[in-house]
Amino acid sequence: MRERIAAIALADARIRFRRTSTVVVFLLLSAIAYVWVPAPSTGRALMRIGGARALYNSAAIAMATAILGTLFIGIAGFYVVSNAVRRDAQSRVGAIIAATPLRSGEYIAGKFLGNVLFLTTFFFGFMLVSMAMVIVRGEAPLEPWTFVVQYLLLAPPPILFVSALAILFECVPWLSGRFGDVAYFFLFLMSMGITTAAVVAGGMTWASYFDPSGLSAVTAQNMAMLHTQAIAIGAGPFDPHKPPIVYPGLSIDAAFVAQRLAAMLLIPLPLLVLARVSFHRFDPVRVRVAAKAERRWLGRLNVLLKPLTRALLRMPSARSLPLAAVADAQLTLASAPWIAIAIVAAAAARNRPFAFLAMAIAIADIATRDVRANTIAMLYAAPRLREHFVAWKAMSAAIIALAFVITYPSLATLAGAFFTVAAAVALPSPKAFIVLFLSFWYVVVNDKGATPALDFGGFYGKAPPSVALTYAAIGSAMLAIAALTRRR
Amino acid sequence: MLELDSVSKRYRAGNYGVREVSLALTGGVVGLLGPNGAGKSTLMQMIATITRPTAGRILWRGEDLAKNPDALRARLGYLPQDFGVYDNLTPEEFLGYIAALKGVRDRARIGAMLEAVNLHSVARRPIGGFSGGMKQRVGIAQALINDPDLVIVDEPTAGLDPEERVRFRDMLAEIGLGKLVILSTHIVSDVESIATQIAVMREGRVIALAAPEELLAQTECARLEAAYLRLMS
Repeated sequence: MRERIAAIALADARIRFRRTSTVVVFLLLSAIAYVWVPAPSTGRALMRIGGARALYNSAAIAMATAILGTLFIGIAGFYVVSNAVRRDAQSRVGAIIAATPLRSGEYIAGKFLGNVLFLTTFFFGFMLVSMAMVIVRGEAPLEPWTFVVQYLLLAPPPILFVSALAILFECVPWLSGRFGDVAYFFLFLMSMGITTAAVVAGGMTWASYFDPSGLSAVTAQNMAMLHTQAIAIGAGPFDPHKPPIVYPGLSIDAAFVAQRLAAMLLIPLPLLVLARVSFHRFDPVRVRVAAKAERRWLGRLNVLLKPLTRALLRMPSARSLPLAAVADAQLTLASAPWIAIAIVAAAAARNRPFAFLAMAIAIADIATRDVRANTIAMLYAAPRLREHFVAWKAMSAAIIALAFVITYPSLATLAGAFFTVAAAVALPSPKAFIVLFLSFWYVVVNDKGATPALDFGGFYGKAPPSVALTYAAIGSAMLAIAALTRRR
Repeated sequence: MLELDSVSKRYRAGNYGVREVSLALTGGVVGLLGPNGAGKSTLMQMIATITRPTAGRILWRGEDLAKNPDALRARLGYLPQDFGVYDNLTPEEFLGYIAALKGVRDRARIGAMLEAVNLHSVARRPIGGFSGGMKQRVGIAQALINDPDLVIVDEPTAGLDPEERVRFRDMLAEIGLGKLVILSTHIVSDVESIATQIAVMREGRVIALAAPEELLAQTECARLEAAYLRLMS
């Protein structure tokens, strides 16, 4: 049994670590570590306590980066690993696996272990980069053991939780598609927010037992230790007139360890049991039923709305690239009529962040759907499309995007829409686009315009025109790189 | 060895993929012929324990596979239609993976199988760079890695060039000398020279099961292709 579980985990690790995208994500994570620990001379610091900055010692950098790492694992980690079962189904290796003596429980355990192995490696790498930041920023000596302790207190629960939840989402039919991708994002943030709020506001320490991110437990312990609620983690401005505070790190008390152990063990196990129950073992009938279930509610809605978009099937003769883009945009609406309703809802809501959110979900797969549907070779045989694929898809997505934001005519909104379209077209998968967009969108919405440079869509009207032009320039660069890469 | 007793597969919509198929197979190469949609793949998937029959029983050496699928799985070699591989792995790693799942402890089998399908020279190259025929050979090697007693191959010669097709047919014929091989195809020439028995399927049912020469006699045809077409009409 152990050999079979290990074989699955090892194969998954090999597949993932050999991908270029893994290297890119790791480099991105390393860059984030660098940005997260700014030089105090910039007026910003990684951790602020009552307005004063925490001295850059090993304990402060370890605890703060570990917390930020758990957030990264919680958000991006899920999307990175939630393709383990799908890969076997899509590659049809699953049919071969199903004909072996491997038990379904072993398969789920192997995939879970593969996810854990992958995320742990990432977290370990992130810890090493964070250690390097102690040397780079140099205010206290590097204490590797302090790092190990702080990371061990915080990292295992989110790794196990995300690894198990990713498998469950893949095994439950209606959670395995884009709905699940979007739902998870809000579920994770909501659960983290609720448990932390419960601990901070109501002193409900039991909530920490159900918080894999550890944010609630860390907040509670830090508040008790530092006698203040004004604790901020993540690069931000501090009061230079206040002397730096020496942060001692999280203490290993019994209650804290119990909370972390409970979060590590109590939640993932039931998730894995549920995943085992829902697993289809690549039975073509069950996979087909699952695929139908995934599409059921959206499919029914689409069928109901078909009369609205049927007229769109009278497409123009694509004598030029813009007309081909119009035809592609029509196809988007004809195949997913819910987008038409979302456009009307976005206009009626008069809410720019909501309009951008709906727009991003609508355009996420415009550039990649042809590869998935295996129609790319046919499209390439049509005039102009192969040579100008990126421009064609950007125009097509821009038509849909414009429909979402047309009621908010401003330079910032148009530039933001263009930036979003460029990201959707340039990124290699809808999942990568959705996770990056949602993360960025969430940061911007929570910033509420305090940092004008972040306001890519002109949500709060405080960003100067230079910000809009910068996002437009970044969008242009992304499209240029995508076009160059594709031409090769 | 393998017995199918009134096996059916009925879908939720009410239509049948396979309908009341009864067979008793002991050894040799059994060619399963039929047009697209005849139910060949569904029948093979049921025998390979990938999907369950909705009625009837499949027995392997007397064991009901619905109750004890592992009775067969350890002794089964299965090559599905349109199967895939992990592009980032090498054939050596992929075979090692399948060998582990099948409980094969003899690592020398991996090298032997790579040799048998003529992939030993590219054993450490990623499969992603392989041609369709080379990937098919990886699939064949994984099916045979556990020295199976029952080999099920679904449209195995698709994507192979003529030389590889002959080579693969010969390999199956050799395996069929001591074991049971079920070979599904709609290309009659694939089974003509090697099948010891031929089963013809149409609309989910087995409409004929006989040795090739008996089938020719029954249909009064000189060639198997003509006999098959006569049965279909």
